[in-house]
Amino acid sequence: MRRDYWLSKLFFDVQTPETGAEYRADRDKVLARYPLKSEVVAAVRADDVKFLAQRVNPYLLRFYFHAAGMSEQDFVSKLRDAGASTPAEKRVAQQHV
Amino acid sequence: MSRIVGVFASNHGPLMARDWDKVRDQRMQSVLGAFAEIRKRMEAARPDVLVTISPDHWINFFIDNLPGICIGVGEIHDGPPEPWLSHLPFKTLAGHPEFAIHLAQTACDNDFEPSLSHRLTLDHGIGIPLWKIGLEKLPPIVPIIVNDLEPPMPSVRRCLAWGELLAKAVESFPGDLRIAVLATGGMSHSIGEPDMGRVDEPFDRECIRRLESGDAPSLVEFLDERMDSAGNGAHEMRNWVMAHGAARGRGYETLYYAPIPEWYVGCGFAAWNV
Repeated sequence: MRRDYWLSKLFFDVQTPETGAEYRADRDKVLARYPLKSEVVAAVRADDVKFLAQRVNPYLLRFYFHAAGMSEQDFVSKLRDAGASTPAEKRVAQQHV
Repeated sequence: MSRIVGVFASNHGPLMARDWDKVRDQRMQSVLGAFAEIRKRMEAARPDVLVTISPDHWINFFIDNLPGICIGVGEIHDGPPEPWLSHLPFKTLAGHPEFAIHLAQTACDNDFEPSLSHRLTLDHGIGIPLWKIGLEKLPPIVPIIVNDLEPPMPSVRRCLAWGELLAKAVESFPGDLRIAVLATGGMSHSIGEPDMGRVDEPFDRECIRRLESGDAPSLVEFLDERMDSAGNGAHEMRNWVMAHGAARGRGYETLYYAPIPEWYVGCGFAAWNV
């Protein structure tokens, strides 16, 4: 199982109330502490669930977006979207949110 | 001789705390009834120690140090750190180092090698069931943490053996300690995966059928074959299997089961007649 260690560490760390609050207030300040690859930082900034899901444990992915302030409905919607590959599949996925 | 006086399984879905009101029909009453039934039976069993079997949801452990099995041997455990559980009455929970160390020693003597922790934080996987069961007096807790979250995980076969080892450790503990077991998690669910919210009811019902049959090898075989397709959360069935092993496969009874997609989970509660 391949994991992006520092991305996983970021997701792990923002679960603490202090780091979570700091992250929600100034995402870039917290991101700067982690030696993340530029494409990973871009995906975090863009809330690119599909890209991030390929690099971390799924539970950590959920905990991260909860801590980052995304609603569960938005998260599940993005997840389903990420799991569907064609526009038709995406439409079907959206119908089940 | 010390002995096991009760073996139970309970759901621990976080949405039971965060989104309890999403489920308003008869199912909510039935879930409350299942927790009340566990409370009644556990209080009647008068346990001196409660062994809990649950995963760590990225609280104590991270990918820099990820044990397959960890026993909490400390005098004190910390309560759930999740901000949405700050209202729970468990800031700290008493442990039972004597039995915990005996369990760890019995494990090592039988070629099992658990990790140990002298100070665990017990997350919602334990906090929610204990809160909802609502025992008047909580016995000291010996937590067994199972890696159900991050592959590779302990085999189902090994979890069954761990349950049997737990029974052996109880029976060989000096004195006449009364020990109850509470496994939490499951049944089918998917977390952080594209099919999050999907419940695999056929999987859950077949698990129940094989638990009822008492045929542990058939249960192990089924889980090996089907667990992956029932969502990543279904891997918590390892905890049920460990409880099944501790009960030596006898007397399984479903206290309640329903697919509850509002909580993203196949919501099961069980007791073994020991």
